[in-house]
Amino acid sequence: MTLWESYWYYEPTRPREVKDGIKAKSQHGRIGETWWSRRWVDVLESLGMGARLARGRSYARRGQVVSMEIQKGVVSARVQGTRPSPYKVEIKLNPLSDGDWDRVTDAMASQAIFAAKLLSGEMPQNIEDAFSKAKVPLFPISEEELDTDCSCPDWANPCKHIAAVYYLLAERFDEDPFLIFKLRGRTKEEIVQALREKRNLTPLEEGVTLPNVVDSTAPPLEECLDSFWQGGEILNSFAVNPAPPEVDNAILKRLGEAPFSIGKHNIASLLASAYTAASAAALKRALGEL
Amino acid sequence: MLVWHAIWNGGFHLWAESSCSPASIPEHQKKRGKRPRPHPFTLALDDLRKEAQATYGSAVIESASPETLTILLPSTSQEPLPSPYLIREDSSTLRRATSLTPWDIATLVLDPGATVDLLLSSCDGAPQRVAFSSSLCFWAEVAKFSLELVARQCFMPEVEEGEGFLQAAWKAVLGEQDRERVYLLAEAMPPVCRAYTASGKALPPSGLVRVFLDQAVDTLVREGLAQVSLLPPRHGRQPRDTLAGKWLRALSTPNPVFTAAAQELSSFPQDIRSWLCEIEPTSLDAVFRTCFRLEPPQDGKGWRISFLLQANDDPSLIVSAEKVWRAKKAVLTFLKRRFENPQERLLADLGRACRIFPLIEQSLNTACPVGLKLDTDQAYIFLRQSAPLLEQSGFGVLVPPWWQKPAARVGLKLKARPRTETRPTGSGLFGVDSIVDYSWEVAIGDETLSPQEFERLARLKVPLVQVRGQWVELRPSEIERAISFFQKHADGELSLGEVLRLGLGSEEAGAGLPVVGVEGEGWLSSILNELKDGMRITPIESPPTFCGELRPYQKGGLSWLSFLQSFGLGACLADDMGLGKTIQVIALLLQECSDGPTLVVCPMSVVENWRLELQRFGPSLSVMVHHGADRLSGQEFEEEAQKNDLVITTYSLVYRDAEFLCHVHWRCVVLDEAQNIKNASARQTQAVKKLRPSHRIALTGTPVENRLSELWSIMECLNPGYLGSARDFHTKFALPIERYHNPEKTRTLQRLIQPFILRRLKTDPQVIQDLPQKVELKAFCHLTPEQASLYEAVVQEMLGRIEDSSGIERKGLVLATLTKLKQVCNHPAHFLQDGSQLSGRSGKLARLVEMLEEVLAERDKTLIFTQFAEMGSMLRHHLQETFGCEVLFLYGGTSRKERDRMVSRFQDGDPPLFILSLKAGGLGLNLTAANHVFHFDRWWNPAVENQATDRAFRIGQKRNVLVHKFLCLGTLEERIDQIMEEKRGLADSIVGGGEEWLTEMSTEKLKEMFALSREAVEE
Repeated sequence: MTLWESYWYYEPTRPREVKDGIKAKSQHGRIGETWWSRRWVDVLESLGMGARLARGRSYARRGQVVSMEIQKGVVSARVQGTRPSPYKVEIKLNPLSDGDWDRVTDAMASQAIFAAKLLSGEMPQNIEDAFSKAKVPLFPISEEELDTDCSCPDWANPCKHIAAVYYLLAERFDEDPFLIFKLRGRTKEEIVQALREKRNLTPLEEGVTLPNVVDSTAPPLEECLDSFWQGGEILNSFAVNPAPPEVDNAILKRLGEAPFSIGKHNIASLLASAYTAASAAALKRALGEL
Repeated sequence: MLVWHAIWNGGFHLWAESSCSPASIPEHQKKRGKRPRPHPFTLALDDLRKEAQATYGSAVIESASPETLTILLPSTSQEPLPSPYLIREDSSTLRRATSLTPWDIATLVLDPGATVDLLLSSCDGAPQRVAFSSSLCFWAEVAKFSLELVARQCFMPEVEEGEGFLQAAWKAVLGEQDRERVYLLAEAMPPVCRAYTASGKALPPSGLVRVFLDQAVDTLVREGLAQVSLLPPRHGRQPRDTLAGKWLRALSTPNPVFTAAAQELSSFPQDIRSWLCEIEPTSLDAVFRTCFRLEPPQDGKGWRISFLLQANDDPSLIVSAEKVWRAKKAVLTFLKRRFENPQERLLADLGRACRIFPLIEQSLNTACPVGLKLDTDQAYIFLRQSAPLLEQSGFGVLVPPWWQKPAARVGLKLKARPRTETRPTGSGLFGVDSIVDYSWEVAIGDETLSPQEFERLARLKVPLVQVRGQWVELRPSEIERAISFFQKHADGELSLGEVLRLGLGSEEAGAGLPVVGVEGEGWLSSILNELKDGMRITPIESPPTFCGELRPYQKGGLSWLSFLQSFGLGACLADDMGLGKTIQVIALLLQECSDGPTLVVCPMSVVENWRLELQRFGPSLSVMVHHGADRLSGQEFEEEAQKNDLVITTYSLVYRDAEFLCHVHWRCVVLDEAQNIKNASARQTQAVKKLRPSHRIALTGTPVENRLSELWSIMECLNPGYLGSARDFHTKFALPIERYHNPEKTRTLQRLIQPFILRRLKTDPQVIQDLPQKVELKAFCHLTPEQASLYEAVVQEMLGRIEDSSGIERKGLVLATLTKLKQVCNHPAHFLQDGSQLSGRSGKLARLVEMLEEVLAERDKTLIFTQFAEMGSMLRHHLQETFGCEVLFLYGGTSRKERDRMVSRFQDGDPPLFILSLKAGGLGLNLTAANHVFHFDRWWNPAVENQATDRAFRIGQKRNVLVHKFLCLGTLEERIDQIMEEKRGLADSIVGGGEEWLTEMSTEKLKEMFALSREAVEE
């Protein structure tokens, strides 16, 4: 060990272990499940980082990233390396100017699909179209757009610590696609509001109260002494119809693909056999055949 | 008796009240202030387990664990009140609950699997001496609901975080209608279901139901997956223990718990939930929702879907997308409805809907999309697949009105042709198994298609086509079925029963295609119409040989019987007790006919009734009673039977003498008190089926529609094969109707049996004006052999003593004999006063139970008078045990306060039976809630009897009152009755004083009076 320590520019292969670090969910294969997080990772992987990329990935998987915070235009993180105190990592992405955003939202307002998908919590597949129409990039295209910084002694930038944060960011984007917008300087709400203004509407009213669903509230037991044992009339005619479903596997069809797979099989398709088998067994039982 | 109760508080607790446990709390416990105290009359653990095993089977109870639970019950200051299902000998009618008090009860806690098993098995009625309380029935309904949810695939997986582990579960997914049903159930929950916490705080009913449903669904799904692995097949050394894989395994095996690395403990559930959250409709409480309206092609344009906003509380209130886009404000007001942020809502919903119906996405490339165009195939996919999914996800869907209407489906039309030109007039020519010719046609709604037309449509291979201006769904599978059906069955032969069944609404013909119409040719068409609508039957007059006057509704019954007879179709006349079923049949039998004798099969107790009624209303009919030890048999019987118009016999003899009874060609077999053939496998039912008459009639006063296996058995005797095999009937009708209250199946079955069952109620407006206000009927009973030998022993002993005495002593002996004989006629145990068991030993008691069954089924209330308090007490006990309902009993020892409370409970409350001793209850009381009066034994003074009868038949009585006077045939009861009848007009004056007049008779006369005629004894 002493020999290696004298070569200060070589990091030992094992960084200090972190308790409760942020671990990448994907423990094998590639990181980033949705198309937009893939686009993000692609940028990183196109930078020619070589072995640092692989180390960064394994840092991400081992949970070396201690903390990560995303704000408009900047991600700050702390990554545990070999030194006792973690390195500070910053990834900055140039926020778009108000004029750029204006052109982007113009492009978005021309097609309902953007607002529709954004409002339903999905990133529109062709979101980049809206950006390219406005001649504004959503994802960074080149190294220049990314301003990355790490407090580690490594001369290379991006270093593996930056790469680790970058990968974790990709997974965050899977969960919340709108973080990309945030990095570019706008929250989802701001975009939705901008789209609304494009439709010439007054701003959203705050504090809209919705009527509550009326739940059955039963009278206190003390008031039920005379009807204590009495069930409602409906119990004698409560109709039950154990029949096959109208549409097979409706719930899975409504859910779509699951965020997990086993091998090549998406969880949703694996669950399908549960629906078929349980339904068949229940029908059999209902007919008294069980 | 036992009453089973259930408490569900996350775990299922079974407990029971028992009528055998001590009635009240021992004195030393009363004093102690310690609370909660043990409940005084619930089953303790050992008995609880034993009895639970007896009721539910040991498999279900085996794994149950004992627990003591504290529950709140309505109580007096001293003790808990029994539930209304528990009938206790000592139950005083005076006690009222003053408070809710916590009591400790012993319970058995069942695991979720056993819980579901128990509840699903306890749906079908309680065994004798056992009652299921409302709490148990309530949870049984919820359990059946959960079974439906699983069958309909309304469930989804879930993952929950525990302390350092994860837990996989299935839970119910409830659509709009199902949530409404949960609400209905919750509203109907008996308060006792919430009694499980001493503090009185429980989940609200809907919460309890939801949690129960989730647990039951989890159990049922896991059971269904017992043989299924959700994991993909393993190839080589593929890593298997991913978290997702562990989750799937935990969902499909009995162990729901699995482990995960620390950081995944919360991230995995989050990921899963963000995937699953789509299922829970978000817009439940919103004022409006997005709606998709499919519009069929118009004016040369193709199919299209319009986007709309629809008010949630009023689906007819819709706002077009155009209007939404034009709105300049965040609030759109339309017809006094505020639509907040309509554009956002519409946009967000369109985004969500893309996942379910991806075609929508193409339409969203403009700024203000209002809809999309579809081709026919896409429109069909939308209707069949996407529309239900969209609806389940909380969207509104408006489809064309013809969609899923029978009129828009391919169906079959049956044309049936009779083989004979003329309508059959007599009997014996026809029956459900007679053959008619038929041909099938393809029909779409009312339109009939030629084979060419149909083939042309089929060749188009599109799922939606227009036939003569009407859009129609053409399912490929149905077209195939229709084509192959025609290749096999284009025409041929069917039984009349089959044609009737199809015509009356049995929905499927063999090929799985719906039958949309049945047309008869010639006279077959009129019979089909008349059967469908009994009112159209041509009325006929009663035959001239009928001695008496039929009331209008009875003439209706005669016409109906005669109509069915002419086609050889079996009829079930199920009029209420007292409406004169027998004389309607007598009038029918008096119609000219040379088709051989008629066989009347009835219980022994009504043989005499039949004989007397025949004598009175149809004296021209020659009657032979086939009964008794010296009855004819074999050839001799057959010859004698042929000489008579009518043979009366009993159910037990139909079985015993089946061999030669089968040989006679009967014109008609009348099955009186048809509940005797309600058990299809009983040997007397089997024997009845072996008789091959031209026509069958069943008579019953018990509504047969209530227990379907019994209905099947009776119909099977009347029209063999008409309702299908017992097994088919069970799965097709009995199970869905009885267990699941399926309204559609109920309607279908009603349509099927309606032509063959005629039931008029006393309360029918048409009947009630025809009826006299008070009808007196005699119920003739037989002595059992035990009663007969006791009777003869008493007569022998007492006559000897009477002969040797005189004066006051003789008088006393005669009266004593009278009392003893009455006791014997009532019941051996009444005479012996030995507290021995009651059932099966008295003809009167058996008859009473038989008749009360009918009365209770009609939900009528009844007074039962006896002159003996001991008999009253025995009856009360026996009837409570038999019917599981509370029976009131008023006698000399009843306090005034208690009497008043009994009267008011009878008049306004539940108890349907009221036993009164003649002396204590004969005067002053107002009991007009009753419309049946039974005189179990007779006071030989009509005035006293009439006074008693008038408790019910007096001002305030709005219905007709039926008075049933019981008497044992062949005994002094019958003879005294005859004397009374002869002197009817004078009765009041002659026998005013009571029974004294009997004591004046000579010993010779008394001998005649007392002697037992042996032929009246039951075998």
